[in-house]
Amino acid sequence: MKTTLKNPYVYMLFVVPTVAMYFLFFIYPTITSFVFGFTDWDGLNARQFIGLDNFVNAFKDAEFRSSIWNNLIILLFSCCIQVPLIIVFSLLISNIKRFQGFYKTTVFMPSILSTSIIGILWGYIYDPDVGLLNNFLSLFGIDPIYWLAEPKWAMFSILLTNAWQWMGFYIVLILAAILGIPKEIDVAAMVDGATGVQRAWYLTVPLIRPIVNVVIMLSIAGALRVVDIVLVMTGGGPAGSTEVMASYMVNKAIKYGDYGYGSALSIIIFVIALILTALYQLLIARRQERIEF
Amino acid sequence: MPVAVKKSIPHFFMIVYVVVILVPFLFVLFSSLKANNTEIALHPFGLPKTWVFENYKEAWVKAKISVYFFNSLYLAASAAIVGVLMAAATAFAMARMKLTRISKWIYQLVLVGMLIPGNVLFIAQYFLVRDLHILDTHWALFLPYTAGALPFSVLLLVAFMHNIPHELEEAATIDGMGAIRMFWKIILPLTIPALVTVFIVNFLGNWNEYLLANFFISRDALRTLPTGMVGFRDAFQTNYALVCTGIVFSVLPVLLLYSFLQRQIIEGLTAGSVKG
Repeated sequence: MKTTLKNPYVYMLFVVPTVAMYFLFFIYPTITSFVFGFTDWDGLNARQFIGLDNFVNAFKDAEFRSSIWNNLIILLFSCCIQVPLIIVFSLLISNIKRFQGFYKTTVFMPSILSTSIIGILWGYIYDPDVGLLNNFLSLFGIDPIYWLAEPKWAMFSILLTNAWQWMGFYIVLILAAILGIPKEIDVAAMVDGATGVQRAWYLTVPLIRPIVNVVIMLSIAGALRVVDIVLVMTGGGPAGSTEVMASYMVNKAIKYGDYGYGSALSIIIFVIALILTALYQLLIARRQERIEF
Repeated sequence: MPVAVKKSIPHFFMIVYVVVILVPFLFVLFSSLKANNTEIALHPFGLPKTWVFENYKEAWVKAKISVYFFNSLYLAASAAIVGVLMAAATAFAMARMKLTRISKWIYQLVLVGMLIPGNVLFIAQYFLVRDLHILDTHWALFLPYTAGALPFSVLLLVAFMHNIPHELEEAATIDGMGAIRMFWKIILPLTIPALVTVFIVNFLGNWNEYLLANFFISRDALRTLPTGMVGFRDAFQTNYALVCTGIVFSVLPVLLLYSFLQRQIIEGLTAGSVKG
């Protein structure tokens, strides 16, 4: 009777296509990335094995170093400025009964849209002449600012757009955790006379620590993954002020044909992501209990 | 503080947030209906003086938004459907069939795939696609999109199928039903809620994808909306109304989908990120 579900041919039929696709598009590229990374391949001439040269060059490469720095700025901005704001907004929504669904749906909305379309949309908002932002600021008598053309503003503009797109996503994530906390705890504290702010800070925030950790981890991963928005809005300019690691890698590979070097950069990005995640886990999330999803 | 004031403080902050989210969309919508740049510049917040719907016709037909739109639609949908079916079959084999040892191995393998960030494989996938001689065809996007969605889809569907009671299959086995028909007739219909979630997540991911679409496709007639729109913007840089029309075309279908399926979309996307 049990043989039907032990039929190895059916099992193969169901599993092999998926596993084959998975090998072709995940495992095989991972291996070739590592192989390319140790060569001087330019896509035309034969590959030559050059050991660690690409990696040494990458850390000597001032442009790549500044792109690492830019990723770091994005990372710090999302973890130190966005995450606290996300927590505050989630707490606010969780305390609202009327329109809660509407607020949740609306703040989540930008995260389902294409980053490239959002880049185009915000390009218009930042437009120095007709853009919404300068129009708005002119109400306060502020002169037009060339948001995407001035090095000192370009990165800020990218950060703002990125925050606009993704904050709602994390708010919904944390909101779900807050709404999952048993009501009795909150009521007990209320009976004891704790104010709303006290309850939020001493009760809710500690209880949602695990999900906040998840959000921080996702923000770290997200900060290292930023690329579409840079390619669409500034192309890394002006003067490399918004170049991030991934956009630099893509440009090196596709524009200049430095495939070996580009692959080495992609390995570095992967390793940096691994190190930062591991560091965060070890240093900060260490003492907290692990949660299972 | 009176209770009414206290209660309205959270609303005040949330309304500011909502306005910041919605104003860019209204700006684009109004701009798309305005006659020219001067009107946009002079009255950015105002309603159009005369409603110019010609922009929509012009963008759709002349500027080939329709081409990008249908490319996006059929690529996103077909890759999502194929991906869901492949993942469902694999999940059935892993969750319901009795070859647990090998299933555990595959599960671990898939889990590793979720750890690799997509960008990292970009160059290697470019050469894979080139060596398969499908660069600059829709296969160059269809295959990576389908494959890229598999790890998440398989994990989610395995979790879902584990919770289906076994009695149904036992009864079916006694009736002499084969494994394939059992999958098709019993398990698949019961998995529909999860299949819908996975399909939507994959569809949105494909519809919005930019990096691969930009570098794996160079023929204009094959472009999808995200890359086509960037080219469109660069070509019509100075015609703000027309570009805003293009933005409306690319955003509207997703927002429509969202208005009907917001619960599934929110659940699917958040589950996907937390699992990854």
